[in-house]
Amino acid sequence: MIVVAPEQNSKAKKFKDDFWKSKDIKISIGDIVETKGDTPESDTPMGPTPKPHVTDLRSWDMKLLSRYEPFYAPFCDMCCLCTFGKCDLLDKKGACGIDSKAQQARIVLLACNIGTAAHAGHSRHLIHHLIEELGEDFPIDLGLNIDIEAPLIRTIIGKKPQKLSDLEETMSYVEQQLSHLLSACHTGQEGSYLDFESKALHSGVMDDLAREVGDMAQIVALNMPKGDGDAPLVEMGVGTIDSEKPVVLCIGHNVLPGSNIMDYLDETGQEEDLEVCGICCAAIDISRYNDRAKVVGPLSRQLKFIRSGVADVIIVDEQCIRTDVLEEAQKKNTAVIATTDKMCLGLPDMTDKDPDLIVSKLLNKEIEGALILDSDKVGEVSVKVAKILAPERKKLKLLPELDEVQNMALECTECAWCNRVCPNDKPMMEAVVAAGKGDFSGFEKLYLNDVCYSCGRCEQECERELPLMSMLAKAGERLAKTEKFNIRAGRGPVQDVEIRRVGAPLVLGDIPGVIAIVGCSNYPDGGKEVAEMAKEFLERNYIVVATGCGAMSIGEYTDEEGKTLYERYSGDFESRGLLNIGSCVSNAHISGACIKIANIFAKKPLEGNFEEIADYILNRVGACGVAWGAYSQKAAAIATGVNRWGIPAVVGPHGSKYRRLYLGRADKKENWKIKDMRTGKIMDGEPAPEHLIYAAENMAEATVMTAKLCIRPTDTGKGRQIKLNHYIDLYKKYYGELPPDIHLFVRNEKDIPITYKKDVKEILDNVGWEPREIPQEPSLMGIGDD
Amino acid sequence: MSNERIIPYQPTVIAGPKQALLVTPETAELMIKKSKRPLLILGPLVKEEPLLSFASNIAEKWNLPVVTTADAYKPFKDKGLNPTSYGVVEIVNLLNDPEWKGVNGEGQHDLVIFLGCIYYIGSQGLSSLKHYAPHLKTLTICKFFHSNADASFPNMKDEEWFKYLKKMGTSG
Ligand code: SF4
Ligand code: SF4
Ligand code: SF4
Repeated sequence: MIVVAPEQNSKAKKFKDDFWKSKDIKISIGDIVETKGDTPESDTPMGPTPKPHVTDLRSWDMKLLSRYEPFYAPFCDMCCLCTFGKCDLLDKKGACGIDSKAQQARIVLLACNIGTAAHAGHSRHLIHHLIEELGEDFPIDLGLNIDIEAPLIRTIIGKKPQKLSDLEETMSYVEQQLSHLLSACHTGQEGSYLDFESKALHSGVMDDLAREVGDMAQIVALNMPKGDGDAPLVEMGVGTIDSEKPVVLCIGHNVLPGSNIMDYLDETGQEEDLEVCGICCAAIDISRYNDRAKVVGPLSRQLKFIRSGVADVIIVDEQCIRTDVLEEAQKKNTAVIATTDKMCLGLPDMTDKDPDLIVSKLLNKEIEGALILDSDKVGEVSVKVAKILAPERKKLKLLPELDEVQNMALECTECAWCNRVCPNDKPMMEAVVAAGKGDFSGFEKLYLNDVCYSCGRCEQECERELPLMSMLAKAGERLAKTEKFNIRAGRGPVQDVEIRRVGAPLVLGDIPGVIAIVGCSNYPDGGKEVAEMAKEFLERNYIVVATGCGAMSIGEYTDEEGKTLYERYSGDFESRGLLNIGSCVSNAHISGACIKIANIFAKKPLEGNFEEIADYILNRVGACGVAWGAYSQKAAAIATGVNRWGIPAVVGPHGSKYRRLYLGRADKKENWKIKDMRTGKIMDGEPAPEHLIYAAENMAEATVMTAKLCIRPTDTGKGRQIKLNHYIDLYKKYYGELPPDIHLFVRNEKDIPITYKKDVKEILDNVGWEPREIPQEPSLMGIGDD
Repeated sequence: MSNERIIPYQPTVIAGPKQALLVTPETAELMIKKSKRPLLILGPLVKEEPLLSFASNIAEKWNLPVVTTADAYKPFKDKGLNPTSYGVVEIVNLLNDPEWKGVNGEGQHDLVIFLGCIYYIGSQGLSSLKHYAPHLKTLTICKFFHSNADASFPNMKDEEWFKYLKKMGTSG
């Protein structure tokens, strides 16, 4: 028998926190906060690694890295980081002595640090602002169904944050670690690729912590949904935006400017008069705050939408915003307001000026745009500017006529350079040539589902200087009008009560897995594939959780009845549940849910107990991330962080450009030894999960690999049958026959799915398969130097 | 541009001073002839006709063991080849290991021929092999110049490429 957890003696709570109803309740500072049924801090036993320093979890990292060896694919042979260079590292060491592998790992660490810094900067800004507004004693209370508010902070820092100011301690720790980690990237510091990787893993977990701080702060302080599966459906898509009204567009990740715009509209009774919409995570978070805000869509919409001229005012905050946004906006006489220290765009600082003065300077073009670092002021200024600009801009909301597009297209010389510079290898030239003949179907194909993600590289290259993005936007205009979708507002963390319900079936394998569809929109072939993957796994009874651009892409798919997957499936953490967890920062709740499984279900103590928790997740929680369009340094940090917690991830083909994957070698039996903590015996294990981070070439490969990466050594016979059944089904669907490695995952005959019994047995006979002993408590702890 | 054929197809994959050798079908054939344990890797971009036939003919004519990547397995299996399926990153990872015994267990390959993998992930795979697999040579016979390979066909249009592939796949 596989022992997964002691008997439960706590009963599941039934009530639900109705935060939408309580939305207007003001919590006054100084209120007495009831401490919920939780062990007082002083009684909580502290594990071995509270606030681990860079090297404290190194032995765990080395265990992971010996099983999942780093696979490097250099993006560049050279290094140009110091004045000894450039150094060519192909078959040679650099002037500082570094070799190619260590250099790749160093760049990965650098990327993770950039990502972590982006989230840490974002979260710092949020808590600083929210403490200023609400006071440092503002309680961290996620409602009655969530006792374990901060599983990551509890595990890493070793205590539970009770009030906003407690989050500062976590941020200080993250910032301190980050400076050590960044320092290791300097020339003449670390020299081992494995140690660079260990540091990257540490950086990833720091990123995880920073995200948890940011999202918890905004959930409690801005009263966003607190783990609510019934969070409202929010309108999404260009077609839902009424361009007759003044339109304010928020781009980026920081909720504060957008939430202040919503507040200003409410306070002045103008909520029906303006459209407030967003691109990227800002859209998700504003709509978590106020479900009247609309979501334009993922990052891939950015340039197309700016060029469409629909927005009268663009508010930029931080991360993933086009750095030429000002130049692009000016072409359409759209006003730009920058709102954070991360992106000032060379604009004059108007923070201390009177709002009406800023409005008039913007309208009279006395300033190119405004930097306003006070988000309260942003609300008023943006609304006033949009209202005055909108009528003047009516004509600018029109794109060139289609015959103009055709005439422009006729200038194409068919040099093909647009195709060659397209990072996504899309047929722009063919679309232009066809448009010259009055056939816009090529453009439409590129437009739909953001197959062309409007990066604009083709346009930069065009020798006839054709405005390809504007031509694309025009050709797609008709389609854009029909783009009316929805997305469930980001619900935030998974409730403890939900974990209690699904903990056993997940760990035993009855629910085949949790698929986390996350990340950006650098998709190899449009966003539809993401929705298709989500649908495939939902229909197979997996739990699908989503965040960020991935969550938006899922909502952009409708079935025959015009329904989105969010309308089709429940938003609860259960089999066939589809959960929009929230924005990039909300990814913390995905690792958080896995940690909660270890704690609530298996009663593993969290405080200072990283390794035991990660070991539990790696061996028992069948979760797998899919970051199909991962592109950013933040995504690198997020993936590396979840990997350290023992959660594998699949990225798209562009993910190979991150330079490093963690690949297991199923053919090396000795790599999969585990220790059975019950008996103390070291035994043969199985390649489950086989890889920690894997780049798939196309959707078919990704889907099959994702199903395989949900297999865990603790699956019961029944659970394993279910998982193998899906793996075989999907493999057959895309490859036409049974997976040739199926024998590796059959421990004894009870594991064989009934539907495929005959076929599987044939394979087993062919390879000389023998049943093997099943560990009761498989673990990597106690292996190697332990 | 006169050297358009030998600027990497996606120009920004250029990685450093080392560039692939530009080869004709004749030189490519010579490389296969000289190799002791070649391997042909076929990706999803050649899983439809006429490329499916061109690729299969090359495999058959030179008696090459075949690995398919992504979902290219079924069409090639149906075509009568006996491919082994791997993800492109998995096979490159195995090829990087000098101790790996090859798809047929006869020893690590000494020449790997790529055809039909998505350009940018293919380029990353070739870069990995360029850095970490000094024990083998890489050749690409896509219609794209791959600067990270040891040897590559130039950038060309379908018509010329089809001729190249037909040439490599017909006997005599
Ligand atoms: S950091 Fe090292 S490898 Fe890079 S340029 Fe300087 S000496 Fe060369
Ligand atoms: S905008 Fe970018 S993705 Fe779209 S066709 Fe041009 S280069 Fe390709
Ligand atoms: S780059 Fe411009 S001129 Fe060249 S093929 Fe593309 S659209 Fe035509």
